[in-house]
Amino acid sequence: MKTTIIAGAAAVAVAAVLAIGAPPSHDAAPATAAPPHPYAYEPPAPGTYRLPPIRAAADGRVLDHNGRPQRLRDLLDGRITVLAFVYTRCADVCPLAMTLLHELHAAASADPALRQALQLATLSFDPAHDTPEVMAEHAAMVAGAAAVDWRFLTTGGPTDLQPILDGYGQPLAARPSGEGADGDRFAHQLRVFLVDAQGMVRNIYSVGFLDHRLVLADARTLLAAPAGAAAMR
Amino acid sequence: MTAHPRFIARIAAGVSAIALAAGVAAIPTSAARADETCQSPYMARITGQEEFVYVWTLGVEGLGDGSDKLVTVDARPDSPTYGQVVDSDPVGGRHEAHHGGFTDDRRFLWLAGLDTSRIFVFDVHSDPGNPRLVRTIDDFVERSGGVVGPHGAYALPGRMLISGLSNDRDKGGRTGLVEYTNEGEYIATHWMPTSETAGDLPGGEFADGYGYDARVLPRKNVMLTSSFTGMANYMTDFGEMLQDERAMQRFGQSMVLWDFHARAPKQVFHVPGAPLEIRWANRDGHNYAFTSTALTSKLWLVYEDDQGAWQAEEVADIGDPSQVPLPVALTLSSDDNTLFVDTFMDGKVRVYDVSDPHRPRQIHEQQIGRQVNMVSQSWDGERVYFTSSLTANWDKKGDDNEQFLKAYDWDGERLTHRFTVDFTAEELGRPHLMRFGAASLYSA
Repeated sequence: MKTTIIAGAAAVAVAAVLAIGAPPSHDAAPATAAPPHPYAYEPPAPGTYRLPPIRAAADGRVLDHNGRPQRLRDLLDGRITVLAFVYTRCADVCPLAMTLLHELHAAASADPALRQALQLATLSFDPAHDTPEVMAEHAAMVAGAAAVDWRFLTTGGPTDLQPILDGYGQPLAARPSGEGADGDRFAHQLRVFLVDAQGMVRNIYSVGFLDHRLVLADARTLLAAPAGAAAMR
Repeated sequence: MTAHPRFIARIAAGVSAIALAAGVAAIPTSAARADETCQSPYMARITGQEEFVYVWTLGVEGLGDGSDKLVTVDARPDSPTYGQVVDSDPVGGRHEAHHGGFTDDRRFLWLAGLDTSRIFVFDVHSDPGNPRLVRTIDDFVERSGGVVGPHGAYALPGRMLISGLSNDRDKGGRTGLVEYTNEGEYIATHWMPTSETAGDLPGGEFADGYGYDARVLPRKNVMLTSSFTGMANYMTDFGEMLQDERAMQRFGQSMVLWDFHARAPKQVFHVPGAPLEIRWANRDGHNYAFTSTALTSKLWLVYEDDQGAWQAEEVADIGDPSQVPLPVALTLSSDDNTLFVDTFMDGKVRVYDVSDPHRPRQIHEQQIGRQVNMVSQSWDGERVYFTSSLTANWDKKGDDNEQFLKAYDWDGERLTHRFTVDFTAEELGRPHLMRFGAASLYSA
């Protein structure tokens, strides 16, 4: 008996990605590629729709790429944040997620208003491998004065990580021993969270359908909302 | 320890793929974006053998415990309990069990009651063969601002979209869509447009405010909704209602196309006769959906034309409309070529070749029972399941009131019976919604 599980379009897109088989390269410059345009529509104009608060963004103890302990909420406070959970040994949907986040990063960095108001944050759920040193390598790839900040975060271990995952409703399952090649340890369905400057989750995206144009429209919608109006329904 | 080279390589490969897609549009991103047919595209999907069929079942007074319940049936062909009930979880009381759906991670199954407006959330991931009720939402009407009759539960990323059927002011058909987090926290209500609120919306004069189904086509950023009737009708005896001319006028006659991301209506279509279930096509470029109208027995196509405009077109009769066969459920195969349509009154399924969606061609017709309601098909198209109950007040009476889950194999030409669970003999109740489960979804 065989049961196959595919998480929406993500697995299909990943399959397409892997089928291309580009040579490994640490020098890849992934942020400048053209968007895939699988979405045949014009995104709604920023400010023409509402993003009702979904819930307070969960807090927790994290480590930045310099190894400094931080409170996640402190890092989110005052700026709009696109937050995703990934891990670098992932052979499932994380590479797709990172590709899409690089697109978003490039597009947002081209907007002076968003350069100040927006940040990206990726939090690893594989702290055993994704140490601050590993995170620092990724952070170095995207750092730049003219770029939107991108925080590469990890945790000190499962005790700190699990409450954060629970708080965001980000399920993952450890693969049984021996499954998952080369450290590909977790099965997961990735969600990406848009958190406003007051620490409220305002949208949740599925990686399988993450259109960075919609994320940008949402960020600009939050920027356009006057103080206090964010919570209106 | 260093950054994992394969991770970076795959980011790079992803960028290459994207660049190719942008330039050549040849990347096979088309595979079907739905569940074992006709489910939310945001959900994890079973493409192989389902292991369990979850059946949301209305309780019947005097039959067993009389309670609404989630019934789990073993669908593993090599199991010693294949085709048997392996679990039954009463929720206590009768709530007019009707529809529901999984969360996007497929860990929880939300099941709604049309009468009490309660929503029951089952954990199906901890032990898929033994679901467990973990939460009951009993303030849906209050939190939603007056929406009554939670119907579908449709997975969105991290949240659920609940389509209502009625309201608490007049129990009529005006209703809305309600969003909750996966954890059961209320987020927002979106009322269906009416001719008074539609403004200059195209087709706004047809907006009746009614609701039934809500389904999203992400690649077009559109959501389509359909329209049924309010609580005053669906909780009334079917025969009595048929005799009430005013009651019969209170059925939906509209479908609404929404800007999904903005949750804003874009266009209203006049689709008379209570359009019910919506089935988006799966393949890229197949920008269309089917629905059936219960009272007029027509198959409708809502599609994007060559100019990018959306249209609604009546494309076929379902049986003999003059006999009011009452089409109630349909399922579209994952290749978009085959459409199964159940008609409650004659207890039949009709199968259409819809490879040309504008010209459906009936290729098969088969008696399933004396009454039949829901139909669910496996993603590989090889297995089809049917249940019998419509509502407590609309099911047939006496010997015609058969209550079953029936499983068939489909070979492209005919349905071959595999097993039947007699829900009356097993003192379970009236089986309605079906959803598929598999333990391997959660074992990584």
